[in-house]
Amino acid sequence: MHRRLLLLATCFALATSAAPAAHAAHVVWSGLVIAENVARPTPIPSELTRIEQTLKELFGYNQFQVIGQSSKTLKTGEEDWLASSKYFGLHVDARGETEAGYLLNLKLYKEKELLLETDTKLSKRSPLVIKGPQVGSGQLLLVLVVQ
Amino acid sequence: MKTFEEKWTAWVDGKLTGKDLVEFEASLSDRASAEAERRDVQKLGALLKKELGAQTLSNADFFSHQIRERIQREIAAQDRHGERFTWWTIRRLTWAGATSLAIFVICAVFVIRDKSPSQQSQYLTQILNARVDPAVSPNATITMFEAKEDKVTVLWVEGLQSLPADYAAK
Repeated sequence: MHRRLLLLATCFALATSAAPAAHAAHVVWSGLVIAENVARPTPIPSELTRIEQTLKELFGYNQFQVIGQSSKTLKTGEEDWLASSKYFGLHVDARGETEAGYLLNLKLYKEKELLLETDTKLSKRSPLVIKGPQVGSGQLLLVLVVQ
Repeated sequence: MKTFEEKWTAWVDGKLTGKDLVEFEASLSDRASAEAERRDVQKLGALLKKELGAQTLSNADFFSHQIRERIQREIAAQDRHGERFTWWTIRRLTWAGATSLAIFVICAVFVIRDKSPSQQSQYLTQILNARVDPAVSPNATITMFEAKEDKVTVLWVEGLQSLPADYAAK
């Protein structure tokens, strides 16, 4: 009888411990990236490693440098933060969490000028890449990844 | 050839006859003492036969009962001994199997729920809307697509104003 109770308690503990793990807090990495073609490209930043091939094939550049970034741990799904470089600012406003990810409002600023605004449903397994303006011989990219 | 002891035993029991009896009795140095000893032995034998035989017969049921009890105790001890060393009975094996299966199902449900969203739209990032300021970038166009290899969702904006290289500064 005691052993049965012990087994039931074990099952219950496993079930209840697995449930919160599915809704654990996530870190959203957001970055301002300059893509360029150079003779000696530097290694791609670790945050972009998983999408390196896609970035190279889509945009045709061999170097990707982060000029501004932010890592935000989302606990309530209602946080907001800013990833900025000297001239650009990416304001991210989280507006709730869904089963698959987060609802985000993104605003790209050039200094104080709003260049682009978008609302997205960022999946935990699917990074978002936004092609920004041409900067010199390169291209500004905005990348958001749920880590 | 019988030894003296064998002949003595047979004589005491009255089983020595004929020529052997005559020869044996002639060989006894003290016939009277031997006869006395034979009587004593015969008395003792009779006594033992009487006492032991009567006890055996009168306690037959008692001994039978004792033997049955002893057999039952031994069987019970064997059962307890066997139970101690074979913990995995069929019933317990069934319980252990059912419990393991239940744990597996619980884990599988959570793993599947976490890894396989029901719809494709939940699996990939979705762009709900996008806009540029027409005053700043009047020729801008917006395209959305998905790169399935890395599950990357792309918002492709063309026609934004180009900027000098200085804007790439950190």
